[in-house]
Amino acid sequence: MEPTMAPFGAGPGVRPGVRSGVISGVRPGGRPRPRAVLRLCAALGLLAAVAVAGAAPAWAAGETIGGCVLETVADAKKEHGSLDAVKALPADELSALETDLEGCLESPNPILPALDEIIWGGLAFVILFAFMWWKGFPAVKRAMDARSEKIRADLDAADTAKADAMRTKSEYEAQLADAKTAASAIIDEARAQADQLRQDLQARAEADIAEQRARAAADIESSRRQAVDDLRTEVAAIAVGAAERVVGASLDADVHRSLIDGYIDEVAGAGSNGNGG
Amino acid sequence: MSVLALEYPPINHLFDWPAFLFDGTALAVNKTVLIYVAATVATMLLFGLAGRPRQSLVPSGVQHVAESSVNFIEESVVMQTIGPDGRKFMPFLTSLFFFILFSNITEVIPGLQFPANSRMAVPMLLALLVWVIYNVVGVRSQGLLGYLKNSLFPPGVPKALYVLVTPIELVSTFVVRPFSLAIRLWANMVAGHLLLVTFAVLSAALWGATYVGAALTFPMLIAMTGFEILVSVLQAFIFTILTAVYIGGSMHPEH
Repeated sequence: MEPTMAPFGAGPGVRPGVRSGVISGVRPGGRPRPRAVLRLCAALGLLAAVAVAGAAPAWAAGETIGGCVLETVADAKKEHGSLDAVKALPADELSALETDLEGCLESPNPILPALDEIIWGGLAFVILFAFMWWKGFPAVKRAMDARSEKIRADLDAADTAKADAMRTKSEYEAQLADAKTAASAIIDEARAQADQLRQDLQARAEADIAEQRARAAADIESSRRQAVDDLRTEVAAIAVGAAERVVGASLDADVHRSLIDGYIDEVAGAGSNGNGG
Repeated sequence: MSVLALEYPPINHLFDWPAFLFDGTALAVNKTVLIYVAATVATMLLFGLAGRPRQSLVPSGVQHVAESSVNFIEESVVMQTIGPDGRKFMPFLTSLFFFILFSNITEVIPGLQFPANSRMAVPMLLALLVWVIYNVVGVRSQGLLGYLKNSLFPPGVPKALYVLVTPIELVSTFVVRPFSLAIRLWANMVAGHLLLVTFAVLSAALWGATYVGAALTFPMLIAMTGFEILVSVLQAFIFTILTAVYIGGSMHPEH
């Protein structure tokens, strides 16, 4: 069961599974969680290790005075058989032993280099330098140069691809511009053709209209003449008939007709003038 | 040795390790020797692993460490002090840097806790090697007379001052440099080891006596441990960059 209590500083947004702080490691009943105990133990162990490791220089002595003394005495005892034999040594030998024991308290000059360390240290450095000269440094440097070269080549390839893309884009743009120009020319041509067609149609329509109008005028004129002729004939007949009734005598038909025609022409002439003709 | 009622180990016992192999011979093996061997093996492993074929495009782990270090030495040491023609010294300078660094850093590695360069042997040997190299480079670059002339009579100095400058340059360039190089490294490592031992002894004694007293000294021990990590890296860098400066001065006296 996850703790329901959010740790200090944790707002309502803290997920139930996220634990931080000590509180989240404690069961609701007050007993610490096993993992929290393990963590505490690990932390204490780490602290102890750091403490021991940190304090270790206190014992980082190569040789103790007591050890040196014991070693010197043991050597003397081994050389002479027993401690009593050592004690019974002549004064000069005892004095030499004392000098050896005092040597345990003396410090060798720390600035004087030790021959064994010069040999081993020098050998180690020579081996290291030989390895670095032969393989270590060139391999790393080669890997670095290869990577630099690869990155440079990739950048060059990217530049080339970019240039290609730009060129393709320019070509597309040129083609697009050409297409637009061509389309514009086509539209202009179509517009010109349409205008021409419109003008042709208009001219033809006007010609047709004029023709129709002329034909209609001719028809009207023809009809008018026909009507006049018909009217003349009718009017002459009516006038003759009327005159015969009025005078009661039959007149010469030809005379009558010439009189009537003359009258009708006079009337027609007056009518035409009256119509603006 | 008793200091303020604390039993302090004799100084030589902090640095002079007994041999456990070939004792009494010139090839005696002690803890110092083992640290130098370990430093060599560690550097070889680092560069051996980093230089394997088919490394990833984005470096990580040992590859990252090795390549960053090489890049750092090239850009911050060689190019700043010698110039492009100093690249031929890169393997030497890289070896020098890592050999000194790994021999120093054992100062704070639990279980070892001893900087091998707090012994005078190898710092002196490396300093003499550097002395030989920069002198040979100087003679090869400028000729014997030219090298001596440029070293002892620096151009641009008023002639009257050569009375003072020439002896100083003679002692400085041909006598003091190897000693200053060696003693700087050695003394820093000795001082660091003494500091750590002092605070460790103090912490142990105070912990045994009062418990509470160690609350002051133990944090100092931790802080000093961090400080000594910095010193270890810094001393390796200083030794390497001074070597490059000396070589650069021999190759290009005009600088």
